[in-house]
Amino acid sequence: MSIALDQVTKRYQDQPVVNDVSIEVGEGEFFVLLGPSGSGKSTLLRAIAGLTGIDHGRISLHGRDVTHVRARDRGVGLVFQNYALFRHMTVADNIEFALRVRRMKAAERRARRKELLQLVALEGMDERLPGQLSGGQQQRVAVARALAHKPQVLLLDEPFGALDAKIREELRRTIRAVQRELGITTVLVTHDQEEAFALADTIGVMNHGRLLEVGNPNDLYTQPATRFVATFLGAANLLLARQSVDGIRFGATPLSAEGAEPLQGGREHEVVAVLRPEEVEVGTAREDLSSDFIARGAVEEIVFTGALERLRVRLLDEPSAAQLLGAGSASGDPLIEITRTQPQRRELPLLAGAQVALGARRLHVLPTPISSFLACAPTEAEAAEIAREPLLESLSTRMKTRVSLRAIDGLAGTPAPFAGVAAITAGSQASETVEWLMRHGAGEVLVLPKNAPSPARVFIHWTDEAVRRATLAVSASLLRHVSAEAVYLGIVPEGDATGRGTPMRKLLDARSEAQQSHGLEMRTELAIGETVTEITRNLSTGSSQMLVLGITDITQAGTAYRTLLAAQPGWPVLIVYRSKDWGPGRQAARSAPEIAA
Amino acid sequence: MKNAGRREPNVIPGFGITLGFTTFFLCAIVLLPLSALVLKAAGMDFARFMDVITSPRAIASYKLSFGASMVAAGVNMVFGFAIAWSLVRYDFPGRKFVDAIIDMPFALPTAVSGIALTTVFAGNGWIGQYLEPLGIQVAYNWIGITVALTLIGMPFVVRTVQPALAEVQRDLEDAAETLGAGRFYVFRRIIVPTVLPALLTGFTLAFARAVGEYGSVIFIAGNMPMKTEITPLLIVIRLEEFDYAGAAALGCVMLAISFVMLLAINLLQVWGRKRMMVSR
Repeated sequence: MSIALDQVTKRYQDQPVVNDVSIEVGEGEFFVLLGPSGSGKSTLLRAIAGLTGIDHGRISLHGRDVTHVRARDRGVGLVFQNYALFRHMTVADNIEFALRVRRMKAAERRARRKELLQLVALEGMDERLPGQLSGGQQQRVAVARALAHKPQVLLLDEPFGALDAKIREELRRTIRAVQRELGITTVLVTHDQEEAFALADTIGVMNHGRLLEVGNPNDLYTQPATRFVATFLGAANLLLARQSVDGIRFGATPLSAEGAEPLQGGREHEVVAVLRPEEVEVGTAREDLSSDFIARGAVEEIVFTGALERLRVRLLDEPSAAQLLGAGSASGDPLIEITRTQPQRRELPLLAGAQVALGARRLHVLPTPISSFLACAPTEAEAAEIAREPLLESLSTRMKTRVSLRAIDGLAGTPAPFAGVAAITAGSQASETVEWLMRHGAGEVLVLPKNAPSPARVFIHWTDEAVRRATLAVSASLLRHVSAEAVYLGIVPEGDATGRGTPMRKLLDARSEAQQSHGLEMRTELAIGETVTEITRNLSTGSSQMLVLGITDITQAGTAYRTLLAAQPGWPVLIVYRSKDWGPGRQAARSAPEIAA
Repeated sequence: MKNAGRREPNVIPGFGITLGFTTFFLCAIVLLPLSALVLKAAGMDFARFMDVITSPRAIASYKLSFGASMVAAGVNMVFGFAIAWSLVRYDFPGRKFVDAIIDMPFALPTAVSGIALTTVFAGNGWIGQYLEPLGIQVAYNWIGITVALTLIGMPFVVRTVQPALAEVQRDLEDAAETLGAGRFYVFRRIIVPTVLPALLTGFTLAFARAVGEYGSVIFIAGNMPMKTEITPLLIVIRLEEFDYAGAAALGCVMLAISFVMLLAINLLQVWGRKRMMVSR
């Protein structure tokens, strides 16, 4: 491996800005770190360069551990967004800077400089000052300067940010060509997905300090695993669908979709499906569609952009129609985004206001276990209050999902099945409510104390190995949307005679499964003692902590964890319940509701 | 050629008015008094003029005035840079307070600072009593004069270097570091050249101020003719003797020397700025 990052964490004022990131970049690979501003990507790049120290983890370059090596001894070349050229030096002096530092002979320096200037197509510019060059030329000089000392790794921090579109594209080609010619391992940081697609062999998407997904551009675009990647890499319509034995469906009609895990005897549940704007088929009537029908709608807006036409269509509220998650529009109802090519447009010219039928040529189901939230309280007004809780509000916004309301007065009767994660308030009643909700089909319940802040640390614990996978999946989904550290808490009863080997192995197993199956990097801690006491003690060690708890026995919520849920002021607790009956092989599916129990 | 002679409309209106004011104030406040000075000096015949300005006492005072000002401005360049550096680069408790204190010499009546310095550095003063046994006499000495001039000029250097340092992008240092440069190398080859124009400006201002300084120096100088007598003091002495022409002649010499030195520094700066291409 050319660059290997192992669980790299960087904190600023106790807030992790880079959170347990592990990356491996192969020899000669062009790796693009993509993410919105503030996602920690630039900090990570600076950490690789050695300009920023890290609080945890290891960095190695070409097999050499450089975690504690100074920047100037790491042998990397770094290119900055604002060029960072030495303005009082000529182009020649700028390029030769690294060689002068290394006391190279003048003749050799000159030869190397000529070579580099030719590489970046700036021959004859030697004696110019940076101020006399255009932005694009300055950045070429910066690239040449960064390559002068033959670094093993080239790092580029938003190198095209300050340039206009045309020059950007030209420089992009130059950099790609230079990188290919030299075969140098390269990491580029950008917030521009188009740039990432154009340059990358591999893209790593970051958000809130975490590395969410790594893959080649095509895979990430067509089969994203997370909501964030789906919506950040290109436009995406997110639809709530139901997954049942016969497949995915919005209303009554099942349709084909990729990525959906087959149900194994479980009851149907809610999933999130990604529909790319270019995969939406537009027809005048349902019968005209060659693909699966999803909804009917009215055209709200048509924007002509040259090669493509962008449509925004309001879905008509029909029971059989797809439910759109609020992507894009902050005000009012979400609109579905569609792009059509010119030939498609000619086939069916449309004007604003036209009624159309929409079909999905290709749907991709996200493997995310948290589809939506359902605020539950005795009355609808109280449920609305829960929905306004800062933590729930920020989670639903970040997950681009909705919070529905449900009145559950008296915990009586047989309610309609619960979809998504149920959210309730903490307190003395909480454990009964959790138990009741789970008996009636809720798989996850989020117990919220009043005004709980967004967590800085999330503890993860499960009572039985049978819920390990589900708990990890839910934890991973949660942690992708908050910038918190994940800590798996393993607890061994006091005086356990089986020795310390087994729990240690469990810890390591949990960590590697979290990493491999869920892309979740977590720390592990081992505590000895009584479970609830140990959890409470760990939660009390700092402010803004949260717990994800996996259980297999519904009554546990009401008994063992009663004190935990009733504690004042308390912590947010996300309880994941999977019945033990389904066994480890069937963890993907929800258990059947135990209404009879 | 319809538009011939018409200026492009400017964002800020009133070019005529502002230029008028500029010229008026330059004339009334700067040029007129200076011309009067030269005229007054021209009133005496050339032999006497030369006599006055080349008298040993006058020559000694020039040496002291310009020499001490040079040394003070030089000291300020070094320590002013250090102060500006710590204010820009580090965040420490009381930084705001230190930042505010820098401007004190601007606001203090110079006589006050002169008296204060004398009290501290005189043979029986707070610091003077410890320096005296070591054979270092500060007050009533050229060292004292330099100390006073340093105090007076310090804010000029700090205030001109501060914004320039703040503008040195961290990226430049980071870039140099990834290219293999050590800290001292970065300082010498990147930071100093980048802030050099500002440093020179600060030096110029501190020097100009020191040359003209009177109030603070006369208290600490001792004012012994040929030894610790600065030119401005000599001018005042001439005035008290009602030798207006003599005072004017000395004034003219100071004016001429200052002008030549400031011009030289300014030219140096223009040259430096051209090299830097500060305009982006």
